[in-house]
Amino acid sequence: MLRFLALRIAQFPLILAVIYLVTFLLVWVAPGSPFDRTERVVDPRVTELRKRQLHAEHWNTFLAHYSRQVLLHGDFGPSLAQAQFSVNEILARALPTSAALGCLAMLIATVGGLGIGVISAVRRGGAMDWIGLSVALVGISLPSFVVAAVLLMTFAVFWHWFPPNGWGTWRHMVLPSVALSLMPMAYISRLMRVSMLEILSSDYVRTARAKGLSRPAVVWKHCFRNAFLPVLSYLGPATAMTLTGSFVVEHVFNIAGMGREFVASVQNRDQTLVLGVVVVYSVLLLGLNLLVDVLYTLVDPRIELTAKAHGA
Amino acid sequence: MPSRRVCQILIATGLLLAGISPRQANAAEPGLFTFINRGEVGTLDPNRMSWLQDIRLGYALWEGLYALDPQTLEPVPGVAERIDLSADKTVYTFHLRDSAKWSNGERVTSADFIFAWRRMLREPGDYTYLLHYIRGAKAYEQAFAADPSRADFSAVGIAAPDQRTLVVTLEHPVTFFPDICAFPVTFPLNEKSMEPFGRRDEKTGRISYDERFTRPPDLVGNGPFKLTRWEFKGLLRMEQNEHYWDRPHVRSQAIEQYSAENPMAGFLKYETGTVDWLAEITGDLASDLREQGRTDLKVFPGFGTYFYSINCNAKLPGGAENPMRDPRVRAALSRAINRQPIVKNITRLGEPAASHYIPPGIFPNYESPEAQGYDPRAAAKLLADAGYPGGRGFPGLTLLYNNEGHHGLVAQFVAKQWQRALGISVQLEGVEIKTFRERLHNKDYHIARASWIGDYNDPSTFTDKYLSSSLNNDSAWFNPRYDELCAAAAREPDAMARLKLLSRAEAILLDETPIIPIYHYVNAYLIRDGVSGIPLHPRNMINFKSVQGRH
Amino acid sequence: MSRILPADFSDRSFPDAPPSLWRRMMRSGRVVVGGAILLLVAAACLVSLPRTLDPDLENHFYYDGGADNWDWRAPPAAAEPALWFGTDNLGRSLLARCLTGGAISLAIGLAAAVIAVVLGVSVGMVAGYRGGWTDAGLMRFVDVMYGLPYVLMIIILKISLENPLQKLFDPKVGNLIVLFLAIGLVSWLTMARVIRGQVLSLRGQPFIEAARAAGLTERRIFLHHLLPNLIGPILVYATLTVPQAILQESFLSFLGIGIQKPLPTWGSLTSEALEANAILGGRWWLLAFPSALLGLTLLCLNFVGDGLRDVLDPKRSSSRL
Repeated sequence: MLRFLALRIAQFPLILAVIYLVTFLLVWVAPGSPFDRTERVVDPRVTELRKRQLHAEHWNTFLAHYSRQVLLHGDFGPSLAQAQFSVNEILARALPTSAALGCLAMLIATVGGLGIGVISAVRRGGAMDWIGLSVALVGISLPSFVVAAVLLMTFAVFWHWFPPNGWGTWRHMVLPSVALSLMPMAYISRLMRVSMLEILSSDYVRTARAKGLSRPAVVWKHCFRNAFLPVLSYLGPATAMTLTGSFVVEHVFNIAGMGREFVASVQNRDQTLVLGVVVVYSVLLLGLNLLVDVLYTLVDPRIELTAKAHGA
Repeated sequence: MPSRRVCQILIATGLLLAGISPRQANAAEPGLFTFINRGEVGTLDPNRMSWLQDIRLGYALWEGLYALDPQTLEPVPGVAERIDLSADKTVYTFHLRDSAKWSNGERVTSADFIFAWRRMLREPGDYTYLLHYIRGAKAYEQAFAADPSRADFSAVGIAAPDQRTLVVTLEHPVTFFPDICAFPVTFPLNEKSMEPFGRRDEKTGRISYDERFTRPPDLVGNGPFKLTRWEFKGLLRMEQNEHYWDRPHVRSQAIEQYSAENPMAGFLKYETGTVDWLAEITGDLASDLREQGRTDLKVFPGFGTYFYSINCNAKLPGGAENPMRDPRVRAALSRAINRQPIVKNITRLGEPAASHYIPPGIFPNYESPEAQGYDPRAAAKLLADAGYPGGRGFPGLTLLYNNEGHHGLVAQFVAKQWQRALGISVQLEGVEIKTFRERLHNKDYHIARASWIGDYNDPSTFTDKYLSSSLNNDSAWFNPRYDELCAAAAREPDAMARLKLLSRAEAILLDETPIIPIYHYVNAYLIRDGVSGIPLHPRNMINFKSVQGRH
Repeated sequence: MSRILPADFSDRSFPDAPPSLWRRMMRSGRVVVGGAILLLVAAACLVSLPRTLDPDLENHFYYDGGADNWDWRAPPAAAEPALWFGTDNLGRSLLARCLTGGAISLAIGLAAAVIAVVLGVSVGMVAGYRGGWTDAGLMRFVDVMYGLPYVLMIIILKISLENPLQKLFDPKVGNLIVLFLAIGLVSWLTMARVIRGQVLSLRGQPFIEAARAAGLTERRIFLHHLLPNLIGPILVYATLTVPQAILQESFLSFLGIGIQKPLPTWGSLTSEALEANAILGGRWWLLAFPSALLGLTLLCLNFVGDGLRDVLDPKRSSSRL
């Protein structure tokens, strides 16, 4: 177990380095630069000076300066599009917001998804199955901007149940986190349904039923825990993605989170900010995947973690 | 059960994180004025300001030699209490107020202006060219860029005989120089407060300033307000500057600027009472509100024009012959467009359909030249004369625009009209904004959506764009006569005669049609009842000094 | 909108495609109902294509140069088919726009699925069959691609590829190719993982060992022995890629880097409706019809995909408690 953890953690820097470089390459070759701000042409000398000040005149000066700063000080440098703010500070502000929202959304998604999944598996083919799945699948059948906008208009603008945008109290968090939870909820309920079905038809469940155990007892005691395993492995990447925010939800509800920095930084070609955002996302993804693997052993003691098992 | 454990962890983290989220501002604070600017503030370094929203805040945090009159936005004495102009109108002597103070209590001196202007020439920004009217300024900027050790600032026509006098010598009379002195590029800077942020380049000896000097509490300004809080894409708060010389006339205690990620979010913030003033609203939303009879919606003429820019180079980007080199083809394209349906059904804010480049009526006394309007028959004839009767033989062209707002709708409509009236097929090319700008400036397009918004109160802010020497001449259209007229206007000391010259220049531009005017902008605000001091002025600017919120 | 698919899917063992595939598919309610609606929508979009793309009728422009007072956004009316869904911001028949948009949306979904199948299956098969360094290298590559946020990847692919391709082809064609590529290139990762897992388990089975012992070429083993056994998972994941790709296109449209106008997609129609203040302005039809069609189609696609997975996995076919 420890050896496995050590090996996995030792791989992190390498993977992160590759991701850093690939991302840099991608944003560097994209047309446009963070320094053209309006439609007016600025004297090329002005831009040139600006690039020199920010070490962005050439790809090698950029890499030499910023990657060293990141390695030595964990400092991603200033945002190239708005140099008065540093990337670290932007991330420190945006991440907690998105993470709070993401946690709530994952909570809703997990509870809702597991519920729908179990019910529709137990009542396979019945009305509950159809209704449950259709509700769950809304999250991956409609663009999130439509769902978010309809939620906003219905519950905040027409009915005034919740504030339409802003941040600060739990009331602000309800609509965006519901909107954000729909997609993972769809996947969780689907997964849960599939793996519940599998377990319900397995021999030991039949045996348990034959022994005269009540249906709810079998479902909850024997099936749920085992059926949860595949869901758990999905939760890792899904949580990483949800915690780092969704552009659409944050855009529609005007929330200053990571999701919009993701998109805005690419749109602005703000190379330093893009790198910061991607590295944070990747660290979260790697960390949560590792956490899931560890949790696996807790849920199911039969699984033993070895370095090899992960490589597969 | 482990899943329960996971849930518990999730809840705990969620609550913890929610606890450290930023506070909600108290909208009932007395003397507070709140608003949503036109977009995110990009910079508060006067050197680098180029967005309207940055410039707006510039007027709150600084004051130039001239300030803006709160209603007319005409330049009125600011830091300078008295201004002497020499008989040949080239030497301005500014006498600074004794009472003008920085927000840290120090006096504003002529040295502060010299520091700021010299820095502008050494560390140039988007609007540095406005200083080129000063004698020797352009030469100094170039010399310094080439070799800092050889550049001699004493040759520049800026001098300070004493602490409270500034003498500026211009290359030639510039009737709108006061306007320039009321523009953020010429605002003074407090050198001492910026020193900790300076960085000296060892090789060249240049000093450049880290933009963090613009963050509170380090930013020192001399305007009616001082910056107390500035969050990235979030709340920006300014409080009254207690050292400001004209403090009795500052009517708000504090100003807060909120951020809106999208137009609907801004509108909802206004609707829920978070802000007093919404400085931009989209056409669809505004026209829906107008139909509901909302009186807090204010729509008034703007300071710019939406047009299509035509690539006039001899060759198209691909290397083929450019049919639009022929002015008749360009005129045909222009006259085949019926602008009325565009402003009525697409932009929907009551924008005037345009056949001019400079919006008629925004400059007092400027007489717009004659212009040709919509006439599909004349358009077809022009195209036939140019050798493409009924569009036969006309090469396939593309119309470039950025995929934002209603550009795509206008483009689809215009392309359809060209097809109907001229029989030519123009393909649309909607691209992302950065790509769009790059291609527009590299003249890598056939026809492109464009716009221009004036900076200062003189028609040359429009006509300069199409000088053959202009970097912003995206059409690659050159006309020596046009250049001459503009140059003559620049030298002309008589205001009325200048306007006549510029009007003749615009006539040439319209006649040769390197651009196809579509409509003139209007500005739309939502202003809550009880708020005063926001001028409905084409320039879309505001002097925050006289603004008063509801409370 | 995620390309993250549960790891569980990749471990699932799919049996040989059974001979009675068709019959068993017909037994699944979801596949039948979903498939029927899907066919109906797709047929409507395709059959009407020649008419909706007719340059003279091009989406039925209703505006007239002379009639300035005509409001272009007409609500739905029963008077004639073109007005059934009302008209859009340029006075075009929304029904025609929705039909054209559907055809393009489905085409994007299919193209992404094809790319995902071709790339994912080849990478997965090679990695799983060869094993060793090839496997390790390919799978680490897939891992890194997973680590990159797909929003970023898709935007950057779109932006970077668009200009050169539009120069090469016509702007419209260039844009479509870029859309296919940008969406397809990020959707093959799951497929590659699934197929690799399958191949790993198949490799050890006697019939493959026998084929290898008989000295068959790798190509032949891939095409004749492995591929037929992979039809099940390929079919399932291809079906599930289609709705994801369509959603991804709608996201790109929302960001303003989607389909080239005047061509519509369901995604671009919905995002344009929102941009045009359809809800508060009372122009509900602009949003309602394209969203309904999009939602219905994707729901059916997901149903069919899920149903197929159930059907193709006999372990679960009789599961009843």
